[in-house]
Amino acid sequence: MEAKKAAILNEIPRLRRYARSLLRDRDAADDLVQDCLERALLRLDNWQTGETPRKWLFTIMHHLFIDGLRRTSRRGEAAMLPLDAGEVSSVPAEQAENMASREIIDALQAIGPDRRAALVMVAIEGFSYAEAATILGVPAGTLMSRIARGREDLRALLEGSARRRAIRIVEK
Amino acid sequence: MTGRDFSEHDIHMALDGELPAEERAAYEAWLELNPEMKARSQRYAADRDALRQAVAHVADEPVPARLTRMVLGEMPKRQAGLRSRWWLAAAAAVLFMVGGAGGYLAGARGTGLEAPEDQLAEEAIAAHVIYAAEQRHAVEVPASDKDHMQSWLSKRVGIKLVAPDLATDGFELVGGRLLPAGANSAAMLLYEDQKGNRISVFVTAEAVKKSRGSYAQSDDGPRAVYWLDEGYGCAIVGSLPRERLNEVAKSAYRQLLAGMTT
Repeated sequence: MEAKKAAILNEIPRLRRYARSLLRDRDAADDLVQDCLERALLRLDNWQTGETPRKWLFTIMHHLFIDGLRRTSRRGEAAMLPLDAGEVSSVPAEQAENMASREIIDALQAIGPDRRAALVMVAIEGFSYAEAATILGVPAGTLMSRIARGREDLRALLEGSARRRAIRIVEK
Repeated sequence: MTGRDFSEHDIHMALDGELPAEERAAYEAWLELNPEMKARSQRYAADRDALRQAVAHVADEPVPARLTRMVLGEMPKRQAGLRSRWWLAAAAAVLFMVGGAGGYLAGARGTGLEAPEDQLAEEAIAAHVIYAAEQRHAVEVPASDKDHMQSWLSKRVGIKLVAPDLATDGFELVGGRLLPAGANSAAMLLYEDQKGNRISVFVTAEAVKKSRGSYAQSDDGPRAVYWLDEGYGCAIVGSLPRERLNEVAKSAYRQLLAGMTT
């Protein structure tokens, strides 16, 4: 039991990095990690010992992420929450991030959650296509098309913002 | 095995370390012969490096005590009301991108990469995701003030807007609000049925080409059914079963069109 917990503790830095890519806001990302850990501890038996808990934990977190996004489109849940959407959106940008980093993370938030998760899982977290497809619960072909579309979306968004910046400079 | 045809597909495979080692040399040679593909591969590689760089510091940050304590079982059970507000921040980030200072999706207009109907549908879905989940602040003008709402939104959006009557489909008007849509304004009308399902009707005066269809960002998210024509675009968004959404959307569209021309 203690060995299992130690192995889970080891994965927290990676889980936090993945959550931050998905959500950008630090507190929100850590809330997602906390929900993930809470669920993992309730289901410790589901983890096959002998292998690293990484894929198992990422799978749990992905389900929570998708369930949470689905919840936003249902009525009423927001009423239970202590904050209004307007208050959350004004969370200040992290100071440690430089401008280019912020820009690409902002752009990442603007692409669809399915494509975002697939791209981050492979391009940042370094999972293989086979591993990522298992974690996300989709066929390999679907995963690959999400990655390709995700990269195209990201590029288009970055080119759009670069163009706007150029226009702003011209206007001055 | 060499000599096979490569495609853009292989750029992703190569970047993600999924291209078989024995194909690597042939792939590199193909890139040299296709400068456009080579440039694309380099842009994608730069984006990947920038992404990694942007979040690299997170893995080195000290782990917040609340997470460690959660694993060690030293955490008191959280109250239901306190947990999981993270997804609200995710929803707010979408709004920020679409309408706020970021304006990324709005900024993607005109890159030629995104069809205008996708833009309209994405804006309509983002607005729906945010406001349909709101209990107290879903609309700016309630249905009880319908006449005022219609004349105000018509003036701001620039088309004569008559709120469709969707009672035969089981939906009652909750109210409406004004939203940004690219460089223009959009009206959002929110409806609700007796079970609490909500749909929204999103209308802008900005559209140049004729188009109709439906759009969803993900399989399990809300779907938009849209119509565009010269001078207006409208999208009906909801998480209803597809058939039912189509039916309600058609009824709403027919009435909007009739309202515009009377």
